[in-house]
Amino acid sequence: MEIVFWSSLIFLAYAFFGYPLLLAIAGTVARRPVHKRPIEPAVTVILASRDDAATIDERVQNILDVDYPREKLQVIVSLDGPSNGAGELAEKYGPEGVEFIQSHTPRGKAAAINAAVARATGDILVFADARQTFDPAAVRQLASNFADFRVGAVSGDLILENGRAAACGQAVGVYWNYEKMIRAMESRVHSIVGVTGAIYAIRRRLFEALPDDLILDDVFTPMKVVLSGKRVVFEPDAKAYDGVSCCAEAEYTRKVRTLAGNYQLLARMPVLLVPIRNPLWWQFTSHKVCRLIAPFALAALFISNALLVGGAYYAAFFVVQSAWYSAALMGRIEMNRRLPARGWTAESRKAA
Amino acid sequence: MRGLLLVPYSFVVLNLAAVAGLYYFITGRKDLWSSNRCVHARNSLLRRP
Repeated sequence: MEIVFWSSLIFLAYAFFGYPLLLAIAGTVARRPVHKRPIEPAVTVILASRDDAATIDERVQNILDVDYPREKLQVIVSLDGPSNGAGELAEKYGPEGVEFIQSHTPRGKAAAINAAVARATGDILVFADARQTFDPAAVRQLASNFADFRVGAVSGDLILENGRAAACGQAVGVYWNYEKMIRAMESRVHSIVGVTGAIYAIRRRLFEALPDDLILDDVFTPMKVVLSGKRVVFEPDAKAYDGVSCCAEAEYTRKVRTLAGNYQLLARMPVLLVPIRNPLWWQFTSHKVCRLIAPFALAALFISNALLVGGAYYAAFFVVQSAWYSAALMGRIEMNRRLPARGWTAESRKAA
Repeated sequence: MRGLLLVPYSFVVLNLAAVAGLYYFITGRKDLWSSNRCVHARNSLLRRP
């Protein structure tokens, strides 16, 4: 039982503290800077969405408002399935050169992206989601990284704003800041293992069509780029803004989808687990695979500790673990106290 | 101080999500799109200069 306890503890310590620490050291001794410079390649911004046209109206305008030469900016909106008001939206933005694609039946995000890429003419593809907004300099900042021929894809920085959901926002923000810190360090060493789906760019020639049932295009695509021998870097000055999902259920669902996507990715791309084939093997296993194993290691740690509680040190550690999970339970209660059970809908925001 | 409680809470939720993600993957449930209905501050963000 002691072996289970200590191996679980060492594993978890590495996954959450050891890996970032080693990355920080590697970033100091083996830093690989990106040779950025201001360039203006032809860019295609792709907005894939299943939302109603009314929902993405302002988002399209936000993309058109970015600081980038209009003649070098192609905008494609790919609507997945029937969408109310799509005709009006096409009439409104058609004269500004925005191209619309609409499938008659919902086929999923991957299919919507594939359809848009088939129409794209820009050398650089920038992917956007409907919910977030771009900073005006976002596209220019992303593009500047492609001056370095070794760079195949660039992730922007998603800024989460807590809005009125302060409690949930803090909880999500803690995790997200930790995640961004790791990405920044991974980028300094070689490449990040996943990009931010809300804002990332890739050289068009490196894009591979997404499988129709793919969950995580924002991990699949960068890993394909890495396997092709190029770098995937993080650009903190290319910013997109988002509100934190206001109800805990929504944030939890998002996490479940992301982690289910990681399992799917492992099943689809087992080559990622082969050290000699994946240049990012260490980062991928430490960042992604360890996160999938962590909950089972936590359970093993707690159970083995409970069975070893006769020893003084083990008893003390068990108290620490119990306090941690008690604090988590109190955190849940605290969040419920601060937030309405189902969060804020657009209607309730207006009412407030 | 109370905000500190949200650190262990978010840690536990993240790990529970990993277990649930495995269940969803095995059972083949794959919802790709996230809803816009439950997001804060969208309107104010859209007005950001």
